[in-house]
Amino acid sequence: MSPLDRSSPPASGAIRDFDFPDTERSRLENGIDLRVACVPRLPLVTLDLFMRGGEQALDAERAGLAVLAAEAIDGGTRRRSGADLSEELERLGARVSAYAGWEGTTVSLTCLADRLEEVFPFLAELVLEPDFPAGEVDRAREQRLASIRQRSMDPGALASDRALGRYFAPDVPYARPVGGTEASISSVDRRTLLGYADAAYRPGGRGGFVVAGDVEPKEVSELVLRHLGSWMGAPGGVSAFKAEPATRERRVTVVHRPGSVQSEIRVGHVGTDRATPDYFPLLVGNMLFGGTFTSRLNLNLRERHGFTYGVRSRFSYRSAAGPFEVSTAVANDVTAPAVREILAEMERLVDGGPTDEEVASTRDFAAGVFGLQIETVDQIATRLTHLVVFGLDDRYFNDYRDNVRGVTTAATAEAVARHMRPAEAQVVVVGDADEIARPLEALAIGPVEVVRGDGA
Amino acid sequence: MSRLSIPVERHRLDNGLRVVLSPDPTVPVVAVNLWYGVGSRNERAGKTGFAHLFEHMMFQGSTHVPKNKHFELVERAGGTLNATTWFDRTNYFETLPSHHLELALWLESDRMGWMLPAMDQEKLDNQRDVVKNEKRQRYDNQPYGDWDERLQSLVFPPDHPYHHTVIGAMADLEAATLDDVAAFFETYYRPNNAVLAIAGDFESGRALEAVDRYFGEIEAGAPVPRLPGNPDVAPLIGGTVRDDVVANVPLPRVIMAFRIPPYSSPDFATVEVARALLGQGKASRLYRRLVRERRVAKSVVAYAFPLLTGASMLLVWATGYPGASPRDLEKALAEEIEGLVEAAPEEVERAIALSEADLVSSLEHQSERADRLAMFELYFDDPDRINHDLERLEAVSIDQVRAFAAERLGPNNRAVVTYRPGEER
Repeated sequence: MSPLDRSSPPASGAIRDFDFPDTERSRLENGIDLRVACVPRLPLVTLDLFMRGGEQALDAERAGLAVLAAEAIDGGTRRRSGADLSEELERLGARVSAYAGWEGTTVSLTCLADRLEEVFPFLAELVLEPDFPAGEVDRAREQRLASIRQRSMDPGALASDRALGRYFAPDVPYARPVGGTEASISSVDRRTLLGYADAAYRPGGRGGFVVAGDVEPKEVSELVLRHLGSWMGAPGGVSAFKAEPATRERRVTVVHRPGSVQSEIRVGHVGTDRATPDYFPLLVGNMLFGGTFTSRLNLNLRERHGFTYGVRSRFSYRSAAGPFEVSTAVANDVTAPAVREILAEMERLVDGGPTDEEVASTRDFAAGVFGLQIETVDQIATRLTHLVVFGLDDRYFNDYRDNVRGVTTAATAEAVARHMRPAEAQVVVVGDADEIARPLEALAIGPVEVVRGDGA
Repeated sequence: MSRLSIPVERHRLDNGLRVVLSPDPTVPVVAVNLWYGVGSRNERAGKTGFAHLFEHMMFQGSTHVPKNKHFELVERAGGTLNATTWFDRTNYFETLPSHHLELALWLESDRMGWMLPAMDQEKLDNQRDVVKNEKRQRYDNQPYGDWDERLQSLVFPPDHPYHHTVIGAMADLEAATLDDVAAFFETYYRPNNAVLAIAGDFESGRALEAVDRYFGEIEAGAPVPRLPGNPDVAPLIGGTVRDDVVANVPLPRVIMAFRIPPYSSPDFATVEVARALLGQGKASRLYRRLVRERRVAKSVVAYAFPLLTGASMLLVWATGYPGASPRDLEKALAEEIEGLVEAAPEEVERAIALSEADLVSSLEHQSERADRLAMFELYFDDPDRINHDLERLEAVSIDQVRAFAAERLGPNNRAVVTYRPGEER
């Protein structure tokens, strides 16, 4: 046998069609918007119940309340204690979790499909009859406060949280950490949570119920009607706001953390919202900038300079404009050079645009990797919930790859130039100011302010 | 109870490469996972962290694949990739749209057969800097970041291969040379010290033919040398050993470990069930008692390391609230762990139910299937264990759990690291 010619990569085989699973959508009598994707690959099912509201519906004094309510929701119901609830669910092999973010609260359940009928009533009970027993509320509140304290001493989390206040004007909800502050959480008690849940945990107001797995739509809608049929009403609306920036002047903030052996760097500004017509070109533009291993940022900071273990950039798309942010961690002595390179790469992309080759390979990555991201019922349910949260078209994920493949170099260049603004970027660095502040000043990229890590 | 049946086919190439195939055409995705039988346990004194640094060098190119090309090609194909280094092994993996299977085979075989000619000092210096930054980011600049170094040195004696961490020491990383890279490659990165697992959408006959075409001509190496140091270790630590730390951490934390039988021991199933009773889910003993009822812990974790060499360890930790004394937290934690001697049969039923659902969920990913198949082949010569893993747990009796707790989870077999917030000394 002659040796194999290894000089070039092998040709690919024949591509196989693979579509996002078909979804049956119905609106039940009480207004619940139900979407069911039959995915009989394994005997599993995942349910996501999304209720609109979330942290952006809360004013600063109540920041973190939605997050805390979600964390406390399994503390007990009018029928049973939290301990009994966990015991009974886990004996059925069911995992239930609740999570609140900026847009709303999602209660999720995953179990083996043949247990769904037994497990479903617990999900309904959690949402319809949460009781927030005082002891469990105390626990959840102390846990939340301890988590806030942990974030304040974790250099990466501290950098991310501090950067928000530099990107957004003070009255924009996104200027604060999503999980609230010590001041806003400390006084929450059982009554607060009961009141919150009664108002916020409602099916209307563009909420939705998503099911993916080895189930029949008819079986699911019967279960929903039987156990959630009496559920009515809508949460209070979210007053629209515009995500104004804190400033349009480029500034550097050093959060002093004595003894740091590394600097956590965030460079960013207000980005754009989920409804932007630039969504797909910007998806490609960000990926080639800092969203993949072979992105410009990573090849520069990691593979060329060895400054970091990794660097990434992202746009957080929300119903209003979320942040655009580059994040990385580097050794103290290369902190200023790393910041310089990040800004230089932003300028280079905005001024010169991407190459055709970069856009083509990034399109291929984004379109191809999509198939890997709809492998599990959990992933499929999460995507369907995304449609609910942002009011996207029912066929959105069926058309997703075509939309990615349709992105041009020109459109990417325009989107990037519109949404990345290096001259307005805020630089936030958590590290040892004694070692890094002066070199950052020497960069002359904007005024440098040194603040203490403990909030003073 | 529903039962899974994951297809498992075993083959061995003439050069000793073991191949496990698991076709499943449900989704057009294929996962390739290549396990090498080398990890931090193979490192000699003064060379700690080298197995992991070497893993980074594997991405720096090979004869036919220039630097960065590996990532470029996999990403362009719509795939994902990574690698991990651990105590007993190192693995490299790609998940791709299934029509790109041969790309992964070409890339993996090129670096298995033709890595060394592409190595140079610049690449080594670059990846050394990357790894040093990884160490800073994940350990040195993190609250509690040195816990595993402290704990491993308590649980395993100085001459045991698990005495040092996978990330290693900065000074040792500094000292690594290109000669070390070459020697390590020649010694451990041979087909007869590796398992290739492929799971997902492919046809077995054609896949095996392709594997043989890409990997078949790579020459076998000598059997790998025996482990440095002494893997033999007494079953029990023989007392309570401790390391009380005052550090710049947000909350008090107690980390406790117990020496346990290795992953290869039949008794390991009992360890896994005991672990689940302690820390799996919110109805578990530690969560229910310490987090929910006594409210002395903010969070709890229990984890059984699946380690092969002489012994392994069961890890339990509890994070307390501000102002709490680590000693009180340690006492409470020890009480609940020792209470396992009176565990009830219903607790085992709960643990099995959760484990079953978790197992089915994890096997949705072809990448997870390939990972487990490679592990079971490399560790146990038994990839079909993927279909029987739950039965091992179901066979564990309540008496075995109680006996294990009595024998292994007391003060005669305990290593403790405590963290108290304060100025570092």
